[in-house]
Amino acid sequence: MPMRARGNGMLLVLAAVAIAGLLVTTEQALGAEQSYEPPRTADDRPDLNGIWQALGSAHWNIEGHAAQPGPVVALGAIGAIPGGLGVVEGGSIPYQPWAVAQKQENSENWVTADPVVKCYMPGVPRATYMPFPFQIVQTPDHVLITYEFASSSRIIYMSQPDFESPFDTWMGHSRGHWEGDTLVVDVTAQVGDTWFDSAGNFHSNALHVIERYTPISPNALRYEVVIEDPNVFTRAWTMSMPLYRRLDENVQLLEFKCVEFVEELLYGHLRKDPVR
Amino acid sequence: MGDRYSALAVVFGVVSFALGVLVLPAAGQHIQSADATATTVASPVAHTPWGDPDLQGIWDFRTITPLQRPDDLVDKTVFTPEEAAEYEAARVASLHKDQRVEDGLELETDVAYAYNHFWWDYGDTLVEDRRTSLIVDPPDGRIPPLTPAGQLREAQRREARSRPAHGPEDRSVWERCIVGGNAGPPITPSAYNNNVQLLQAPGVVVIFNEMIHDARVVPIDGSAHLPDDIRQWRGDPRGRWEGETLVVESTNFNGKTAFRGSGAGLRLEERFTRVGDDRLLYQFTIDDPTSFTKPWTAVIPMKATEGPIFEYACHEGNYGLVNLLAGARAQDAEVAALATREPQ
Amino acid sequence: MRIRSATDVPYDRWQIEDCTIRRMRVVVGLGISLLLMLTTVPVVAHHAFAAEFDANKPLSLTGTVTKMEWINPHAWIHVEVTREDGTVEQWMIEGGTPNTLFRRGITRDSLIPGTTIVIDGYQAKDGSFKANGRSLTLEGGEELFLGSSGTGAPRDGTDPVERRRPPG
Repeated sequence: MPMRARGNGMLLVLAAVAIAGLLVTTEQALGAEQSYEPPRTADDRPDLNGIWQALGSAHWNIEGHAAQPGPVVALGAIGAIPGGLGVVEGGSIPYQPWAVAQKQENSENWVTADPVVKCYMPGVPRATYMPFPFQIVQTPDHVLITYEFASSSRIIYMSQPDFESPFDTWMGHSRGHWEGDTLVVDVTAQVGDTWFDSAGNFHSNALHVIERYTPISPNALRYEVVIEDPNVFTRAWTMSMPLYRRLDENVQLLEFKCVEFVEELLYGHLRKDPVR
Repeated sequence: MGDRYSALAVVFGVVSFALGVLVLPAAGQHIQSADATATTVASPVAHTPWGDPDLQGIWDFRTITPLQRPDDLVDKTVFTPEEAAEYEAARVASLHKDQRVEDGLELETDVAYAYNHFWWDYGDTLVEDRRTSLIVDPPDGRIPPLTPAGQLREAQRREARSRPAHGPEDRSVWERCIVGGNAGPPITPSAYNNNVQLLQAPGVVVIFNEMIHDARVVPIDGSAHLPDDIRQWRGDPRGRWEGETLVVESTNFNGKTAFRGSGAGLRLEERFTRVGDDRLLYQFTIDDPTSFTKPWTAVIPMKATEGPIFEYACHEGNYGLVNLLAGARAQDAEVAALATREPQ
Repeated sequence: MRIRSATDVPYDRWQIEDCTIRRMRVVVGLGISLLLMLTTVPVVAHHAFAAEFDANKPLSLTGTVTKMEWINPHAWIHVEVTREDGTVEQWMIEGGTPNTLFRRGITRDSLIPGTTIVIDGYQAKDGSFKANGRSLTLEGGEELFLGSSGTGAPRDGTDPVERRRPPG
């Protein structure tokens, strides 16, 4: 074989080896996430116990958005709204035509209309990505999640798949099961008054949420949420984000009992002697 | 000193009685040998896989036994079985009677009775050991006198409650939906929703009270309390095991919950002991020298229940406080109108 | 025997013991005075109600249920009342914690809109169309939520207030 042909052949082989190497490493990297083996509880489930928190600005707006000024001039930069890439898969929420107008109205009036401003419990999934930590305490039959914001709490029933809630609640009714290393939670019977964020993204009391919590590394979970609401959306849609373990020494949830902080807002007009 | 010994004797007697009455009938259990420490529960209590006593379940703490001994029963610590049966029957009859003005009730009282008896759920029975009060120490079964500082705070509180409210701060913390009446801490039986769920994972116990969706996470990891300048409505709990008993000590109270007159100086000790498959014994001691002239202790038995704990989303539906304040302003307006009409 | 009024008792003591104990005259000894027991009243009360509702504005209303808010701390029944002169008023009637009812098998579907109920209570102090449901009955006099279907009875459609088996 002529010299040049042999050189080209070697180059081809080297290129092939390099590409193969890259593919293998990439596969290993992905595989590493998918094959992460979390520590296990006594009943041989992934151990989700601990204090977790989301990062980012999904609590402001779950769709992608640029930074913008906030509603309180005196708060300046601190009160402004940071940008976010959005957590909705596909980018935008598939509202029915009537609901687009409702969302717009919510968005324009969010300061007075957003239930979380009044310290109402955020519901699921918003409670997960509020800028506050939450704690998971996991037992075989019940998984408790308690959220620092407004001391919101819920119990996920792991062994009562037929248990229906007799009424609608702010934190919904949660029934869970394991699929491999993923905790799958089915949430129903949530009041229609909760929002997804401060941008006015909303739902009705027909909301059905399916959450998935999957450990991907010692200090992170992947959180995926499927949203269904035939009253409001044209189809089911999904949001996802990582959840990070709080690693601070001696970390614990503190109280954020915000009812006290909103009494002037809600009842100030009924005071005997107005504060302002 | 004598008081302290008799108090300890009462507490020991109650716990022993409870253990004896509640534990012995359970089949297949035996008393540990005399060499065993006297404080251990005399039965094999289930343990979690990591070796802690298993207190988990949903617990119902309804009882018609009062927290404090009635005035007339000064030295009577326990009812006889006959007296207990009569007391229960009479109490249940009066509670279910749904009395109205036609029965001689004053108007203001009729309004305060609020609604039909079917909304109430305080239970039908005294505690099984037939004590005349939940308080076991002091021996008179009554909350000890308040200190002068405690009395002053209580007087201010009463004054604020006795007049049309000027603002939400004049009302109780549970009317404002900040913390639940019966959840405390400490936990005390009330008119309804007397339910608490205990959950355990390695290093942690959660005390999840129905009112007001209150999940107290208790670390059992030897960690220190919060620094002194961080104060909370429910304080800051830390737990440890003493034999089969979970001991929870809470400090760092902000004083605004004002449990029975307590203040920010409160140190609360709670004890949870499983005394049977379906029985939990709960004991609390209030130690607040800035409010009470001495510490005091109550013992409340709890029964396992199917539950579930229902959501008690108080603040989100608190029309009552709005109406109360609107009513107060209406009253003020009436008074003002009358004043302008009166000849000077 | 004078019956204490709500204003005599500490406003934060709505739990049973302090209020009740001062009324319960339990005679120690061979017997308890049941007569005394039965004629005294448990001052278990929502003292806040005395601040919300006006003892001088007692009322009795008959109306049809339009919706029920199964909420805490108090459930609210929305009722449409048609006055003799034809005026239609929308009233809100305050009840207790619905959790007590849920534990007995009641659900959000139990009070069927259109049901006629009779309300005996007191009007809100601010004069609005609100009242506490001091006593709630069906037209026939039966207490609401304690209808003919007892706990665990099957739903047969004849009772306007039907229950389901408690959950769990």
